Amino acid sequence: MRDATVLYVEDNEYNRKIVRQLLMRTSYRLREAVDGEAALGMVREERPDLILMDVQLPKMSGLDVTRALRGDPATADVPIIVVTSFALSGDEQRAMAAGASAYIAKPYSPRDLLALIHTFLAER
Amino acid sequence: MRRFTRASAARNEASGRDGLSRGVSFLLTRTPLGSLVGWVARVPASVHTKLLAAFLVITALFIAMAAVSLDTIARTAQQSRKMHEAHERVEWSQQIDHALARQMHFTALALLLRDEASVARILRENNRFNGTLARREVVGTEEERDLIQQIRGRQDGVMNAVADIANAIRDGKLDEARAELLGRQERAYEEIEALVARLVEVENRYMLDLKQAVETANFRSIVLTACFAGAAIALALLCGFVISWSCLLPLRKAQEFLGAVSAGDFTATITVPNRDEFGAQAARLNRMSGELGRLMDEQQRAAASLRALNTSLERASRAKSEFLANMSHELRTPMNAILGFTEMLRDGLYGDVPDELKEPLADIHTNGRHLLGLINDVLDLSKIEAGRMDLTLQEYAVQDVVDSVRVSLRSLALERGLEFATKVPPELPIAYGDAKRITQCLMNLAGNALKFTRQGRVEIAVELQGDELIYRVADTGIGISRDELGKVFDEFRQADAAVTREFGGTGLGLSITKRFIEMHGGRIWVESEPGEGSTFWFAVPLRVEVAA
Repeated sequence: MRDATVLYVEDNEYNRKIVRQLLMRTSYRLREAVDGEAALGMVREERPDLILMDVQLPKMSGLDVTRALRGDPATADVPIIVVTSFALSGDEQRAMAAGASAYIAKPYSPRDLLALIHTFLAER
Repeated sequence: MRRFTRASAARNEASGRDGLSRGVSFLLTRTPLGSLVGWVARVPASVHTKLLAAFLVITALFIAMAAVSLDTIARTAQQSRKMHEAHERVEWSQQIDHALARQMHFTALALLLRDEASVARILRENNRFNGTLARREVVGTEEERDLIQQIRGRQDGVMNAVADIANAIRDGKLDEARAELLGRQERAYEEIEALVARLVEVENRYMLDLKQAVETANFRSIVLTACFAGAAIALALLCGFVISWSCLLPLRKAQEFLGAVSAGDFTATITVPNRDEFGAQAARLNRMSGELGRLMDEQQRAAASLRALNTSLERASRAKSEFLANMSHELRTPMNAILGFTEMLRDGLYGDVPDELKEPLADIHTNGRHLLGLINDVLDLSKIEAGRMDLTLQEYAVQDVVDSVRVSLRSLALERGLEFATKVPPELPIAYGDAKRITQCLMNLAGNALKFTRQGRVEIAVELQGDELIYRVADTGIGISRDELGKVFDEFRQADAAVTREFGGTGLGLSITKRFIEMHGGRIWVESEPGEGSTFWFAVPLRVEVAA
């Protein structure tokens, strides 16, 4: 069985670095996208096993990307963890309505995030 | 094309006259009545005065008519009396004739019977004749009196003849007497008869004149009465028409005007020639529409400026919401990095941490979390102020809420050496509300209690009273003075500056808590004794009603 692939969609370099360093010690392979459109391209190119999706992204919001992926039969069943910024109430509901498998609020504890990733990929 | 124009012109005229009947319209536009109506309208007197004047004129006409009638009746009575007298005179004249005939009869009888007694009868008839003649003379005209004098003269002659006849009968001279009778007396009698006939003729002529005079007077009286009645009726109709139309025209105009105003045309004006109540009313109506127009303009201007203000406020509110969302994201992103890297350092992800770095790393983490708390409070309050804070209502277990607060604050209580207890009855039903916000409120209150208590205990207890959940957070802390008790829920309020220095905090927690409780339709209150401790309560409906 090949190593699981995680796609992290996030425009902030430091946050990408956290996840990069967090996953360095695991067997998971990390791919990174800096905006919504790039994320869509990468998913079509190679289907990941899990997507971490920030909500506020340049060009195309994380929720729009999530909806687009759910609308495509090829990617409809990829687990997506939406990272909310908790800006307005109802962010979580909106994330779940867009098709998120789970959500985690920023700022997240790297420990908790890793635990959540493990949960999804262990089910694989 | 021409026909259409004419038809529309006629329609315009008809609508301009506002449904006046064709007859009235004709009278008002094509006859002098129209200008008369205008003239009456312009008379500077009240309608009451005008009506009174018209009524008085008509009444005067009727009084004059009555006077003429009375005069006529009096005259007629007089004429009929005269007629009666004339008839009487004719009758008397006939009696004279009659007495004369009887005289002749008795004279003839005396001659025939040669009887002196008959002479006495002649004398009696003569007396009656003289009496009637005297009565007739008193009421007669000059001409008649003249005739009567002549009759009396002849009668004297007759009486002389009678005397001679009487003497002749006594003396037995019958042939002589007969001659006398046939000669003198017969002739005298014929003359008297002729005179009486003339008398009757005079009277008849008089009666004829009288009859003609009565007929003339009657005709004159009928004509006069008819004239007065006709004039009175015509005047009444004229006054009625003119005065009523001098009132009705402005009334119709006022109706038209009010129709336009009630349809929203406040530029409508009314022009009437009247200088009476209707003139005053028209002036007031014009003032009214002017005032309404002015108010309308003002109102429209105000509405326009309110619309503009509303639009700009909506824009501002949208901008504020966007700003808040962006701000939240922008602040959380670096916070995520700071807290994330610190946690990974402390977790030994980058290798073992030297002992001397453990404390500063813990300090960075504590302060980072504190800063995050402040950011959350400020953003929450801003969202509430902007009206962008909505509750996320769902079913929750009170026990879970209390447990999550206990777990989060357990280490703080331990650190401060305080007893920290929670008490939730096991039989509580499932609640409905925003569990996250209720947790946040309870966290604020319990966090404060732990912060402001140096020794003793902090307790969280929940109970159900009716359909209200009562949350209670009690501590044995420094307490709040009576003066400050009323202000603890105000924004940026802490009991005093020294407290802020010792215990930290922004002073936003309680005011945010109060707002959230109120958004749930609940209430919050506090009791405190300085030096003894404080107890905060908040009550929220077990099942929050969904706001419409």
